[in-house]
Amino acid sequence: MYKTTGFVSFVLRRFTGVVLVLYLLLHIWVIGSAVSGPEVFDQRLNAVQTPLFKIAEIALLAAVVYHAFDGVRLLLVNWFKVTDKRKNLFWAVFIVSALMVIAGGVPILLFMLESK
Amino acid sequence: MRIFQIQRVTAVALLVFMTIHMIVVHYPPFHIDFSIIVERMVNPVWKVVEILFLLSVLLHGLSGAYVVLTDYKQVSKFKKALALVVIVAGIVAFSWGTYTIISWRLPA
Repeated sequence: MYKTTGFVSFVLRRFTGVVLVLYLLLHIWVIGSAVSGPEVFDQRLNAVQTPLFKIAEIALLAAVVYHAFDGVRLLLVNWFKVTDKRKNLFWAVFIVSALMVIAGGVPILLFMLESK
Repeated sequence: MRIFQIQRVTAVALLVFMTIHMIVVHYPPFHIDFSIIVERMVNPVWKVVEILFLLSVLLHGLSGAYVVLTDYKQVSKFKKALALVVIVAGIVAFSWGTYTIISWRLPA
């Protein structure tokens, strides 16, 4: 059971989901400082623009992208008769997610190096 | 509406909102500060979009967290209390977030 694609995606879905909820609360707190005006907002935003946070941003992107495509996969399995293709879909989610993370992550790294 | 139905509906909404969010706000990455974000956020249409985005993501995230937590036997004993905590957290986050979205205005 622990080696089936169903179980692996179940664990990854829950793990990325919980990570994203924790991030969401932090995100609302950071952006929420906009109510205190531009100075407070830019100060708090700058605090989360350090290289360490930029790297974490790529991990965040990976969590969002994987969670989203896993969700698309679940919707497809639910709406169409593709249960016999579910292993292919499982791998397709990984490949598409990896490509999207590269496409999004490389520009983040380049931007980070540029703005140093 | 059952939780899994909430997840379905908000999931589809989030696919749309998250795609818009990523393209408009983050891709390609660029320097972000108050003066740049405020240009978009003074537009009432964007305010409405962001409030709907916030509502979808909170419903989806908090329902999801609730289900994950109550799947643990030790936690499921306190289901009702947890539901109350999650609902209160959701209301606080939604109110704070909506207040933030409405507050965006060009500095005088």
